[in-house]
Amino acid sequence: MATVQVSEAEKVYILHGIRDDLRVDGRGCEDYRHMEIETDVVSNTDGSAKVTLGHTAVLVGIKAEIGKPRPMVPNEGYLEFFVDCSANATPEFEGRGGEELGTELSNTLYRVFNNKHSLDLRSLCISPGEHCWVLYVDVLLLQCDGNLYDAMSVAIKAALFNTKIPRVNISSDDEGGKEIELSDDPFDCMRLDVENVPCIVTLCKVGHRHVVDATLQEKACSVASLLISVTHKGAVTCARKVGGGSLDPESVFEMTEAGKRVGKALHAPLMALLRQEESLGMKRHKVGFLG
Amino acid sequence: MPTDTKRVRGPEVSQSPVLFGCRPAAVLPSHGPRADGRQRDQADVRPVFVRCGLVSQANGSAYMEAGSTKLMCCVYGPRETERKDETDMKCGRLTTDMRLAPFSCPVRGSWIQGTQDKDLSLMLYESLQPAVCLQKYPRSQIEVSVMVLENSGSVLAHAVTCASLALADAGIEMYDLVLGCSLCQDAGSYVVDPTYAEETSCGSGGGLTVAFLPSLNQISGLQSDGEMSEETLTAGVRTCIEGCYKLYPVIQQALIQALRRAAPPPSES
Amino acid sequence: MAAGFKTAEPLEYHRSFLKENCRPDGRELSEFRTTTLNIGSITTADGSALVKMGNTTIICGIKAELANPTVDAPGKGYIVPNVDLPPLCSSRFRPGPPGEQAQAASQFIADVIESSEVIETEDLCIDRGKLCWVLYCDIMCLDYDGNILDAAVVALLAALRNTQLPEVTVNKETSTPEVNFEKRHRLHIHKHPVGTSFCVFDDSVLIVDPTAEEESLSTAQLTVVTDEDDRLCSLHKPGGSSMSGEKLQECINRATARQREIQKLIEKVTHSVTTAQ
Repeated sequence: MATVQVSEAEKVYILHGIRDDLRVDGRGCEDYRHMEIETDVVSNTDGSAKVTLGHTAVLVGIKAEIGKPRPMVPNEGYLEFFVDCSANATPEFEGRGGEELGTELSNTLYRVFNNKHSLDLRSLCISPGEHCWVLYVDVLLLQCDGNLYDAMSVAIKAALFNTKIPRVNISSDDEGGKEIELSDDPFDCMRLDVENVPCIVTLCKVGHRHVVDATLQEKACSVASLLISVTHKGAVTCARKVGGGSLDPESVFEMTEAGKRVGKALHAPLMALLRQEESLGMKRHKVGFLG
Repeated sequence: MPTDTKRVRGPEVSQSPVLFGCRPAAVLPSHGPRADGRQRDQADVRPVFVRCGLVSQANGSAYMEAGSTKLMCCVYGPRETERKDETDMKCGRLTTDMRLAPFSCPVRGSWIQGTQDKDLSLMLYESLQPAVCLQKYPRSQIEVSVMVLENSGSVLAHAVTCASLALADAGIEMYDLVLGCSLCQDAGSYVVDPTYAEETSCGSGGGLTVAFLPSLNQISGLQSDGEMSEETLTAGVRTCIEGCYKLYPVIQQALIQALRRAAPPPSES
Repeated sequence: MAAGFKTAEPLEYHRSFLKENCRPDGRELSEFRTTTLNIGSITTADGSALVKMGNTTIICGIKAELANPTVDAPGKGYIVPNVDLPPLCSSRFRPGPPGEQAQAASQFIADVIESSEVIETEDLCIDRGKLCWVLYCDIMCLDYDGNILDAAVVALLAALRNTQLPEVTVNKETSTPEVNFEKRHRLHIHKHPVGTSFCVFDDSVLIVDPTAEEESLSTAQLTVVTDEDDRLCSLHKPGGSSMSGEKLQECINRATARQREIQKLIEKVTHSVTTAQ
């Protein structure tokens, strides 16, 4: 991941600040940076969202395609994740450089969504054992300024909220064969219930405390971080230790507790914001990428 | 589809007979004693068999069996970094490669390393790296490779334990051993060190794997999936740590035994 | 002193032993390392065997799957042998796709299966033209100390002997296969091919069952595969120095003797496994 060099003096400065609950950019330990969300930014996807968090920018596009259900779960659709680390984000991603990080991020996403309640996969089923919707979730990292996981998960939630899947009708002909018909009306579409979609909160252990939404400088001072994905009810769907150091059990417990608190608080304003944007409808002022 | 010219190829599609079993697989009970007689809701780990130094070619190696989970780990190095652009003057490099043998699971796996193997390798790396004194091996790399011969559950946890044992056997300086333990959570109760069947049948709950440095009391690796409340997660971590402590004497014994064999104590005469 | 000599002049070191008709590990020129066999230890495989020849360790796991037979051979199944030399077994192998040696070994095993008729692929047919078994024979080296071909052949043979396939019936109405895992039957092994590998030192001295070091110092290598009827199934001599007909005959004679030993070993171990059950 993108890294910065931090001198010893800077490290001490950051560490002492965090000890006193005051970070370099004026935030407290459990505060996020300024976050901007815009949905429906890419017209040729079924759902999309762009999130900027500080200088971190993530674009998520969702494409719905008809596929065959997995043999083990014939009455469910499924999600496919792909994370592309654009060389625009940081020169380190050039060539095959971003590939490893991309796999790591997408594997984590599979884990985050690997439970029954995050998304109602049954609603994605068209006809059991034969057809289902496959949601291809493509994440594009446009700029890296720390805390990719959190930005990515918020963007995915927003994009899923924005996703419109066309309605289909199944008509069977005389010989028992089935035919799938897409609805002609472009506004006749199915929406996903994203209430339970979790958000990832990454907590970095810096000194004896932990901070939410670490910048690259803060990350350079931290030994290890814990990422936990939390639903609006406070259930944890994934937890992972990342980074080179180890943590003592007590701080793991503290961090999970804090992560749950922060994550839970993140959902309500996010959903309110998404609904508000939706209600604006056509009147919405589009900002786009250069805004 | 690109064809694999480097292997003997079979038919293009073949299906596992498991998919066509004439009676559905038995559903494991979600309460009462477990299929192998162990207790629920307790740090009841399977007895393990461990042995160091079996592979003649490696600098260090370990073989481990827990129930019918069988895996072995070899450590090569420290040796010169292969790729010159990755040479670090201050710090050594640790690489991990974990693979499930094609015949290790009920359904045959592929030879090509899938995302699951890559994910496991990464988890293994993150769990081991904090324990290895990499600053003592500048400009060199230490390769850890794990092969799972039979997957009967909790492979990542046992791979961590086995790999740290192999690292110790190779004489790599470490702060502490790393022990792994995992559990599966399902509807109000949990099973520690789950078997493959228990892992796949736990529906609504989730899995948790913890890597632990016992004498420093530090968690070097943690991963969970599925849905859990924060309290269950915390309780699960505690239980896994307890499970690691149960494993500790066995692993220590294996190391001492390997050391004795390598350098027999001087006779009294 | 000896250790220094060994590292500095490995060839001279070996020569000094060979002059006295023995080898650095104390073996005679035509002596095999101790061979041990463990059958059926991998329960997730349909058949498995672990072979140790000295330090060299090879495991073979067999997984059976269902497939459609080819149009050219509707009454035949498939056997798909693959040899893997993972980075785990020696520092000479890198992760990634199989290297040259692994590819050559896979091809050699495939040739042995083909030419020795160890299994008739007709036996793997379930429903002519519709359904057949595929036997994926995955052979993996866990410790590479020379002579993997011999060990691989033994592992394969023992694993095939150990393989039990579940009974399959094809449902007439839905024409889908139904598998009964409770009823299993063994494969019919027609022949018992066993390989014997030799190394030629300095174009003249012939040694059997070479270690990894001996392999790297030798001028030629040769593998002879024979079965219980003393038929020559396969002869594998990839390049190297030339060899006289007499020497070759000597090798074949040694190979037939080795075949007897190994077949006896397999019988013994298989027997002990079945009586233990």
